[in-house]
Amino acid sequence: MADKSVTMNSELNTNSRSRLDILTSSMRAPRDSMLLLVLAAVWLFFYFATNGTFLTQRNLLLLALQTSIVSLAAINAVTLIVTRNFDLSVGSAVALVGVILALLTVKYDYGAVIGVIAAIAAGVVMGVWQGLWVARIGVSSFIVTLAGMLYFRGLSMIATNGATIAPLPDSLTDLATGFLPRGPSIAVIVLAFLGYLLFRLQDLLRARSLGLAPQLSSDLARIGAPAVMAALLCIWLASNQGIPYLVLLVAICATAAEVLMRRTRFGARLYAIGGNPEAARLSGIDLKRMIFWNFVIAGFGYGVTGVALTARVSGAIGGTAGLFLELDAIAAAIIGGTSLSGGRGRVLGALLGALLMGSLNNGMSLMNVPIFYQNTARGAVLLLAVAIDHLSRTRPV
Amino acid sequence: MASDEAFVPRPVIVTAALTKTFPGVKAISDVSISIRAGEVTAILGQNGAGKSTLIQILAGIHPSGSYSGELQMEGKPFAPINAEEAELAGVALVPQEINIVPEMTVAENICLNAEPTRWGLIDVGARKAKAFAALCEFELDIDADTQMGFLDLATQQLVVIARALAKNVKLLILDEPTAALTENEALRLFDRVRKLKAQGVATIFVSHRLGEVFSIADRIVVMRDGRIHGDHAASGVSRMDVVTEMVGEVTDNTPRRLEGNVQEPQLEVRNLTVFDPVDARRARVEDFSFLVRRGEVLGLFGLLGAGCTEVGLSIYGAWRGRSTGDILIEGRKVSIARPQEAIELGLGLLAQDRRDGLIGDQSVFDNMMVAANARGHPLRSVDRAAQRRSAADLMTMLNIKAKSLDAETRTLSGGNQQKVQIARWLVIDARILILLDPTRGVDVGARTEIHKVWLDLSKRGRSFVIVSSDADELAEVCDRAIVMRKGQKAGELSGENLTERALVRLATDG
Repeated sequence: MADKSVTMNSELNTNSRSRLDILTSSMRAPRDSMLLLVLAAVWLFFYFATNGTFLTQRNLLLLALQTSIVSLAAINAVTLIVTRNFDLSVGSAVALVGVILALLTVKYDYGAVIGVIAAIAAGVVMGVWQGLWVARIGVSSFIVTLAGMLYFRGLSMIATNGATIAPLPDSLTDLATGFLPRGPSIAVIVLAFLGYLLFRLQDLLRARSLGLAPQLSSDLARIGAPAVMAALLCIWLASNQGIPYLVLLVAICATAAEVLMRRTRFGARLYAIGGNPEAARLSGIDLKRMIFWNFVIAGFGYGVTGVALTARVSGAIGGTAGLFLELDAIAAAIIGGTSLSGGRGRVLGALLGALLMGSLNNGMSLMNVPIFYQNTARGAVLLLAVAIDHLSRTRPV
Repeated sequence: MASDEAFVPRPVIVTAALTKTFPGVKAISDVSISIRAGEVTAILGQNGAGKSTLIQILAGIHPSGSYSGELQMEGKPFAPINAEEAELAGVALVPQEINIVPEMTVAENICLNAEPTRWGLIDVGARKAKAFAALCEFELDIDADTQMGFLDLATQQLVVIARALAKNVKLLILDEPTAALTENEALRLFDRVRKLKAQGVATIFVSHRLGEVFSIADRIVVMRDGRIHGDHAASGVSRMDVVTEMVGEVTDNTPRRLEGNVQEPQLEVRNLTVFDPVDARRARVEDFSFLVRRGEVLGLFGLLGAGCTEVGLSIYGAWRGRSTGDILIEGRKVSIARPQEAIELGLGLLAQDRRDGLIGDQSVFDNMMVAANARGHPLRSVDRAAQRRSAADLMTMLNIKAKSLDAETRTLSGGNQQKVQIARWLVIDARILILLDPTRGVDVGARTEIHKVWLDLSKRGRSFVIVSSDADELAEVCDRAIVMRKGQKAGELSGENLTERALVRLATDG
């Protein structure tokens, strides 16, 4: 298709060489960099407030682990909020997935592999179920997932009779609490870094072959510099114990989601639907179908998040596992620049949002701030973030 | 006035040298008119002639002070600063889009924002009584407790008029009241208007439909380009004269393209009937057939409610109601139930309201690629570089003025937004473009440029169906135009016969 349009245009004999300067994509995400600045400020504050404890390797790894579950749920939240859909059910859905995993592996002695596959499948089924209600029957996602929040939680309690099912097999617990050894960790980081650079380089070269990117070196520097910084930071963090498997999982999921949202037609359609459903419809996008798959993918997310959470605590607690996770996830997504009115939002931003919320928790805990104050502070941050979102959008259409 | 009438009815409202300017345009200039009691005055004119501005000044929507000139009501100066004040003075405007709350009852609607209260609470009994009185006064046999949404359109309109009349009206203004009505419904409305006339109410009747105007109006005022170009007793003027005054002296020498270049049919529609999405028995378009040839620019002209938009949307599979009939593309019979099917067959649509067509918060680039991304397997990756290349080429080719491909689309001017929508279809090489009111809100300079884009593209074999209520534009750019009236084909014009005047005449002569 793309090739066709290119030939079509050259056939029209256009001459755009003189306007190449308009083609280099500008920095698209000023919000992300602003969020980074805020995060840096918060970290610096805690660094001094905790006499340096906050920025130790040990604490940062702990922070990454503490943030991982919310991060997974936040990735989910972004993909749904982009199409103006809410998910209030993720916390309960995750608990139900955990219950299924625990029942299968602890009570019925199936192996970890079968347990995980079944648990993820259960998550997908929940996604299909909610997707059918939203896309086919047309009930608002707010209602469908509010109901889901209630009955997924209820089912978890029924299945366990309110009891905790533990401990999970060691193989599962190890996966969630263990570390990829130092050597392979560093290898993974370097490979990921190189892979990313190669991918972007390939992008640039392709653009150049089409006459789009005149300054290859400056573009490379713009892409490469942050990547090098991130890679160095990761290597430092991994230099002692390696990378926690859970953090690796978050990285893989985030990358997959980012590719899905930004580099496939599916993702492009979701952004179009969220931006203006009528325009999307008139452009030939099948809204119902896309929204349905939107929820199916969220269901896969329930599965992954549920397995991770259950393995991390080595057991399923039907009543409280994942409680308020939906709110943390939505908050992280919103802080990360996802717009409630749809059509805008990045996975990376949501990860930063989750990290910011996690940092507040972690830092205040280190400072021995009572939990009541912590909640108050987090609420204030959320309000501020949404206010900024609103103000940045109240320009005339 | 006619000679057999010795007495001239007293004027209710007199305007002197009214002039109102919007940024850049003079909406009306030097309008002096007097509206008399017990008389139906029709105001005629094409889109943009200044009719709406005039009635909005009378109804206080444009506050006194935002225009120059003077108003007098029954001999006293009249300077309403808002609609409420005008209403209090006895001017009632029933707008084109009637403002009702369909979920509320008739009584609640009639007393909306003027609820009788007792001890600070709404007095439900008094409200019902008030509504009942209003309905009786206007001889409407409706239960005041009926939910408004259950009534048909004409009845709703009558209720709105009853509501307006409940407030001691001296001047009733009806803005295109029959646009959405069937013939019978319109007759019912006229019946009431005649009764009001007998009671001494002055009525202003804004319409395009000459048939109706001549049957109901005592006086006909024609506006063009913000000025009054004719003020006649209805009995003393012919339809042809009125049309001439509406259109003006046209120098119609647009060179029409030679026929017989390429003549293979691209799109053919046979016996299309389109039903209302809410009232499924009401046909909005009946048994309509037409043909577009390859590389042809076809105009579809009609007044509000004539059914042109309905035709455009149903061919494209985007109409929300039911439709029947056959569509043939390049001679092959096809079925199109949804936009994506239409797109696969090479159609593209530019929405009537640009807000429905564009994603304002997203970039020019994203907007251009929406249709491309809507096709193909969802997990196919996007070749971003190739897309940016073709987007950049289109930006140059269509001369789209934007800061960059990444500029948010809402920051563009109307004309450039229009071009972005066209680009969207060029990316996927659409063969047939359906444009709904494409240059509404686009300034004159950009309009000419957009016309050039259409003509260029049509020369390359793309076909255009342009649905518009702008006769001037259609006469200028179309190879051929079909005029619709009340859901049916009223005529077809091409070659030298395709003039603004002929279009207006065919469309209004019903």
